[in-house]
Amino acid sequence: MATIEFRRIQKQFGDVTVIPDMSLKIDDGEFVSLLGPSGCGKSTTLFMLAGIYLPSGGDLLFDGARVNEVEARDRNVGIVFQSYALYPHMTVFKNIAFPLKFKKVPDAEVSRRVHDAAELVRVAELLERRPEQLSGGQQQRVALARALVKDPTLLLLDEPLSNLDASLRLVMRTEIKALQERLKVTTVLVTHDQVEATTMADRIVCMSDGKIEQIGTPDDLYRRPASRFVAAFVGSPPINLLDGYAADGRLIVNDHPLALEGEPATGEVILGIRPEHLQFMATGGLECRIDQIEPMGRETLYVADSPLGNIRVLESGAGARHAPGENLRIGFHPEHVLLFERGRETLITGARASVRQG
Amino acid sequence: MAEMAARPVGERGFGESLLWLVAICVTLAFFFPFYWAISQGLRNPIDTFTVSGLGVPWLSFDPTLDNWITQLSSPESRRALANSTIVSVGASVLALALGTPAAYALARFRFRRVPNIDITIWFLSQRILPPVATVIPFYLVMRAFGLLDTQLALILVNATFVLPFAVVILRQTFLDLPLELEEAVLVDGGTYRTAFMRVALPLAAPSIAATALISFAFSWNEFLFAITLSSRDSLTIPVFIAGSVDTRGVQFWFMAVRALIAMVPPVLIALLAQRYIVRGLTLGAVKG
Ligand SMILES: Nc1ncnc2c1ncn2[C@@H]1O[C@H](COP(=O)(O)OP(=O)(O)O)[C@@H](O)[C@H]1O
Ligand SMILES: [Mg+2]
Repeated sequence: MATIEFRRIQKQFGDVTVIPDMSLKIDDGEFVSLLGPSGCGKSTTLFMLAGIYLPSGGDLLFDGARVNEVEARDRNVGIVFQSYALYPHMTVFKNIAFPLKFKKVPDAEVSRRVHDAAELVRVAELLERRPEQLSGGQQQRVALARALVKDPTLLLLDEPLSNLDASLRLVMRTEIKALQERLKVTTVLVTHDQVEATTMADRIVCMSDGKIEQIGTPDDLYRRPASRFVAAFVGSPPINLLDGYAADGRLIVNDHPLALEGEPATGEVILGIRPEHLQFMATGGLECRIDQIEPMGRETLYVADSPLGNIRVLESGAGARHAPGENLRIGFHPEHVLLFERGRETLITGARASVRQG
Repeated sequence: MAEMAARPVGERGFGESLLWLVAICVTLAFFFPFYWAISQGLRNPIDTFTVSGLGVPWLSFDPTLDNWITQLSSPESRRALANSTIVSVGASVLALALGTPAAYALARFRFRRVPNIDITIWFLSQRILPPVATVIPFYLVMRAFGLLDTQLALILVNATFVLPFAVVILRQTFLDLPLELEEAVLVDGGTYRTAFMRVALPLAAPSIAATALISFAFSWNEFLFAITLSSRDSLTIPVFIAGSVDTRGVQFWFMAVRALIAMVPPVLIALLAQRYIVRGLTLGAVKG
């Protein structure tokens, strides 16, 4: 088990800066997820933890000791690559046993530990097969067993579920989470899928362009996104983001005035409101007309034309209760409104907008 | 193809018929020398020039195995075969022993002073130089080291000529292997050496086998250096074939048999290696 600390870590490839300046602490036994769009530097960060890439600057600490120059093989890290990277010319047994070769483990113990690890991820009956004879899900379990067999102090998972089909992804999500809780191994999961991050991780590090946008629990990211980017990236269907202008306690969105309360905001802002926080109502609120309906099983997503612009509204309960062209009214609770500064794109804390005719 | 054959002949396009004609002509042109060699090898010397037409055994002349018996039992031809085998195997092994690590280094590590691609092009440039330009220098060098007319001289020269080829092909092979497999070895606790020996090398085996085969064939056929650097003890098959000449002219009957004997080992190896390469490509069959 280990605590991890990034102190002003930088990473360049030649002239290209992938990570400009990253600081981050991960507690012992914590399950942290690096969440961000493809190409934002998540794998690069993970590979620095593994010792495959050397940081270009800053300090990387494991349990308080600097490990920047410590070779990958001396870090006792287990990793599951996005492609699983199983050795194609070895059986499943040999794949799982491979990390033990370097630890001078006696044969009998190798066999016992391989069987234990295989048992743990339920591939015990596949030990004599070769990777090509396994399904994607089985390969993934084997990769997990190989990462776990040496009792790593740190477990790294690079988009482990991205190559699985949807139903299997659900199963593996739960299994990996349960496994991590049982083993209490410090784990870093890289994913571009916000659902994966929020369902599995204790804390999420949301990244864009090599920079950390926000570190927080899944709940923090959802309720108090630190920036427009986080608000847009976390939550499905995506949040409504509307450009507006704030002055004199009023917020003008698409020429429509709303009342502002709380912390006074001024200038160019972005109004954010999640589709699930909008309700159709009989009176009050804003007039709108339904444009489009997307049934989503237990929920229905409406796209409505409102005075604020096109807006997505999510209504729970199966079956659409409204039809396209129908005229309705929508409203929202001031608690649920997020305001971001335009330009810096950061959250303006304490601002509230309500739907009152100003 | 099956679909095309199923169509009535009349529907076949003119272009397709032409294609077939060309294919048949090319095939005949390729096979004629073999046929000639087989026919010639079965004739008595006296029939060499008297038999006309296609020279079909039994129809045009009475076939004999005398030439084969003479050649297979002669110490000279046995020595030429042995020399060729030792030289070709030796040169291939040497070229691959040096070329495989070089190719891996070029594929996976960045050299400080000279960019990797320049080193690769430098290797390749050796193949652009006409070998004949280096015959005299090599002769002088071998004489200085007392290696004239030895198998070692030919092994060294052939290895020199196939090495660039091996480096360039194998570099590409290693570049095409997924990097993550070798990174996995490093995280699992291995060194770069382990990654090379335990993962990259076994996965590159089919390509290494193919390269070995090409190196072998090149060395087997090499004539220029073989005739310059050897006089008697290290004569190889191509020189031996060219030597089917005596005071009465070219001994076509012997030349034909020697050419056929010379063809056997590379063809056998190609057949064996082909099976191995196909097996290797299905991955997993290559044992680490
Ligand atoms: N070895 C490398 N050499 C050069 N650029 C790289 C290398 N690895 C990654 N990059 C660049 O760094 C950026 C981030 O890559 P990566 O960490 O793989 O992103 P993510 O995993 O978030 O999708 C990309 O723009 C990529 O092109
Ligand atoms: Mg990645």
